[in-house]
Amino acid sequence: MYRRLLINIYQVRNGLIHTQNTRLPSTKCKERESFAPVIWAPCTARPLGTSSISFSENKENSTSLSEDKEKRPEENEAKEEVNTDGQKSTEISNATLTLQLETEPVDKPEDSKQVEKTKSGKESLLELLGAMKVEVTTVRKIRPSKTPRMSERPDQEPMESTHSMFQHATAKGSQQQGTLNPALVAAVSAAASTLPNRHQAESELLKQLRKHEAVPDTQRRADGQNIGHIIADMKVGGRKTNGRSSARPTSQIRFDDDGKGYTQDRGITGELDAVRRRKSPFTSKRLNIFTAGMEQDTLSVLGPTLWDIDLANQIVQATNQAPRNGFEEMIQWTKEGKLWQYPINNEAGLEEEASVPFHEHVFLEKHLDESFPRQGPVRHFMELVITGLAKNHHLTVQQKKEHIDWFRDYFRQKDDVLKEAEA
Amino acid sequence: MFTVIRSKEAVLQALASTVNRDPTASDYRFQDDPYLTPKTSSEFKLFSLSQESGRNAAKYFISTYPKYFQKDYAQPHIPCLMPETLEAQIEEVSEAALIERIQMRKVKAAVDLYDQLQQAGTPVSLDVTNQLLDLICFYGDCDPAQENEDVQDEPQTKKGRASPCLVFSFRENNNAERIFALLSEPNTHSYSALIRGMVKYGAYSKAFSTYTDLLNNQLKADVSTFNALITAAPEVKEKYNEKWELIVDLLKQMAEQKVKPNLLTLNAVLKALRRCGTVGKSQAFPVISEMRALSIDPSLASYNHLLSIFYKPGAPFQGQTDILQEVMNEVSGKSFTPQDPDDAQFFITAVRICLDTKDIEQAYRVHELLGVGENWRLLGNDFQQNIYHARFFSLLCMMENIDVVLKWYRDLVPSVYYPSSNVMRDLLQVLDTDNRLDLIPQIWKDLKQLGHGNRQTLVEELLTLMAREKQNQEVQETFAECALDIKKMYDTGDRGKVMMSWTAGSLSDLVSVLLAAQRRQDAWEILKLFKTHNRVPSEELLDKFLTCIKESGDVNQALELVQISAGFCLPGTPKLIQRVQQEFLLSEQQNLSFQTHISHNKNSLLFTFSVSDTEKPVHAL
Repeated sequence: MYRRLLINIYQVRNGLIHTQNTRLPSTKCKERESFAPVIWAPCTARPLGTSSISFSENKENSTSLSEDKEKRPEENEAKEEVNTDGQKSTEISNATLTLQLETEPVDKPEDSKQVEKTKSGKESLLELLGAMKVEVTTVRKIRPSKTPRMSERPDQEPMESTHSMFQHATAKGSQQQGTLNPALVAAVSAAASTLPNRHQAESELLKQLRKHEAVPDTQRRADGQNIGHIIADMKVGGRKTNGRSSARPTSQIRFDDDGKGYTQDRGITGELDAVRRRKSPFTSKRLNIFTAGMEQDTLSVLGPTLWDIDLANQIVQATNQAPRNGFEEMIQWTKEGKLWQYPINNEAGLEEEASVPFHEHVFLEKHLDESFPRQGPVRHFMELVITGLAKNHHLTVQQKKEHIDWFRDYFRQKDDVLKEAEA
Repeated sequence: MFTVIRSKEAVLQALASTVNRDPTASDYRFQDDPYLTPKTSSEFKLFSLSQESGRNAAKYFISTYPKYFQKDYAQPHIPCLMPETLEAQIEEVSEAALIERIQMRKVKAAVDLYDQLQQAGTPVSLDVTNQLLDLICFYGDCDPAQENEDVQDEPQTKKGRASPCLVFSFRENNNAERIFALLSEPNTHSYSALIRGMVKYGAYSKAFSTYTDLLNNQLKADVSTFNALITAAPEVKEKYNEKWELIVDLLKQMAEQKVKPNLLTLNAVLKALRRCGTVGKSQAFPVISEMRALSIDPSLASYNHLLSIFYKPGAPFQGQTDILQEVMNEVSGKSFTPQDPDDAQFFITAVRICLDTKDIEQAYRVHELLGVGENWRLLGNDFQQNIYHARFFSLLCMMENIDVVLKWYRDLVPSVYYPSSNVMRDLLQVLDTDNRLDLIPQIWKDLKQLGHGNRQTLVEELLTLMAREKQNQEVQETFAECALDIKKMYDTGDRGKVMMSWTAGSLSDLVSVLLAAQRRQDAWEILKLFKTHNRVPSEELLDKFLTCIKESGDVNQALELVQISAGFCLPGTPKLIQRVQQEFLLSEQQNLSFQTHISHNKNSLLFTFSVSDTEKPVHAL
């Protein structure tokens, strides 16, 4: 079962992290205790993009790799020097680590410790990543800031990548600890996955790095330690991780985390990638066949054709028309005309009578005049008839007239009988 | 003073909006009669169909014997309750009679009358002829099967009715073409009827040639003609890009002829793009943007086609998973009205994709959309509703923890959804994963009610889960009750349903459950069933049983157990005997009978254990 599998993997990973923690030397443990909460606190409180984390972890790997190589000769040469380039090189990774944390003022004092503990820093990052995967809200929070970043990318920093970030990190690191420009951080994190042409970008980056190296920097060259070498070394690692990141951008974290790549995962990273990769497809370009506001040639419309009726019928049959409660059933009946309409109106169904005034109903004598005798039993009878009709509210005026007309015809037919009787 | 003009349903709508769904009640249709409350999906189907067919039967009688239903009690008059006239009233040969036959959808009679009018030299107006063409093309030149006859012959209503006509494709020189040829000046409507009929009955290339004919006659087509042609476009071309080029060509001609497309045009294009492979993926969004620019908003059918373009069933989903998200961003919170018959496909497509990509987050959004406004109507008929809920619930079982799953379970089952046995198995797996086996007795009750009580695999799985681990005493008690209930299910096989047969596994699981609940006597009964059903108990089971007997110290039963074991010729019998001799205090007589029993076994040469193995402890006693 899929979820069960996930649970297991999480458990295994947690186990791994825990064992890593316990394997730490005791001194490191103490220091970890001191700053680990600091790292944890911001990452749970602050909406961090996983992109920036996964990205910085890439570098973390690369720098720690290169650093290991670098550190040993350094330690022989200039171990005690406080502000050596060796120190700086460790700061690079430190800076990348603090990239995401630097806006949090609390962790600044901890920087010095992290410098010495890049290794434990990496582990804390791993933990941090483990925690980040759960945080789903980051996607939404990152989204709005996406467009400005994308727009500033081409002109300002055309080659933004992990490498250019190293440059900035070293440059800033030598001047001031942990005061990276937030805009830069944002730009860098945006650039993490926007390397369309890996090789070309890489060669251009190398060029730029060399150029950067060529810039006379007295401060850096003071000790004879060539930062260019460090950077050149980093590039090896950088290329490796970079290649991997573009090959499998979504599962990046997992690979770095426990070494076992697993295939099916559509977590926050995938979602985030999708957001970055393109804008909403619904705002894409149109075909441009029709012109908006087009005048339609009006054809003679003869009311609904058979086809229209059938379409309506099909729609009705495709949808669920069953009422869900009594009121809905009553609505259905109302539509079918089986039910009194609400609000109740006792003149419902008498629409054609609404325009007939009251006196038409009541004063019916005018209908008696022409053809009925002026006096006598017939006249008397008819007066009774119209009195009855005037009080009858079930008949329309038309029906009343018809009623009178019927008697008129009747008495006309019986004319001779009447005359005989009277005469 | 204001008077607000409200529709006649406004009051009722306001009242209806105050009623929420009751998750404990069945569908409103069944609330009249508690006896007819469906408990399983088959009952649901049966009851709802019989209700519908009862209505149809009543309508049939009213329409067939109108003379008995002439009394009009209602004041004001209710037209829909009166019998429909099925016989033509006008007998003479005239245009009015033709119109009447067209309105009554009598294809053959109308064509005959038209021919008579032609022979008599009476001119028939173009409009009426067009209506006749519409009628003939719509029904493919054969009389529509009467709805009422349908009720009697085949309960499956809609499909059965359409199929006999679909069998006849658009034949050569049928009445439609013949009458069309007689027209001196066919207009757009005449062509439209003919082309739509051709597309409907599969004469696609003929439709296009008729369209060319229309253009040659210096006429313009109407929007429905174009819609039909766009639908036909994928049929007449082979390659993906050729299909697309044809569609674009048609759209361009629409623009040229100043025909404004409508929603159905958009949906026809998208539906055609489903059959254009990769071209569809690249062109779908531009098409939607194009229609948006003409202020035609996509309906759910458009989104359904869009999803189908990007997510082919069975294909890998890399890089496309976000299309669903984009679509959901578009539709979330909107209330849709049905505008296209395909609208009802959206929800099941969307939830299928969620299931395939295991995307619970989007699934929740889809389900939320269903609750907006009148969108629930667009979930479609009962069958589609069932598919939707099955997919949604499977996904929940896969991705969520037991509490969430149960929350949904209580909400959906059985008021709107009757889960299949497969889905119930998923649910059991969730219980297993999250260690909430204590809920099994509850689930068993539901299972029984849902009519899955006789699904052997499901019941066996239930028993296995209950027998697997030792739970606390209270839970074991409920397990035992549940197990005995399951046993009843095996015994009765109620009302001609499939009988389940005992297997060794299910019997021993049952015994283990009962033993764990200290119900030795019940367990003993079950143990006897092994023999009656010719199943062989495992040695571990008998071992476990003996341990249980030992706790009560019932020597006789222990001896019987050994006898049962010997009766099955189990190779573990000697060990059992050894245990009995070691752990129980046997009286002289028992010892004797025991020994004879053993020797009997030895004589029958069923066992290969050595004499010393068994006899030594006996002597020690």
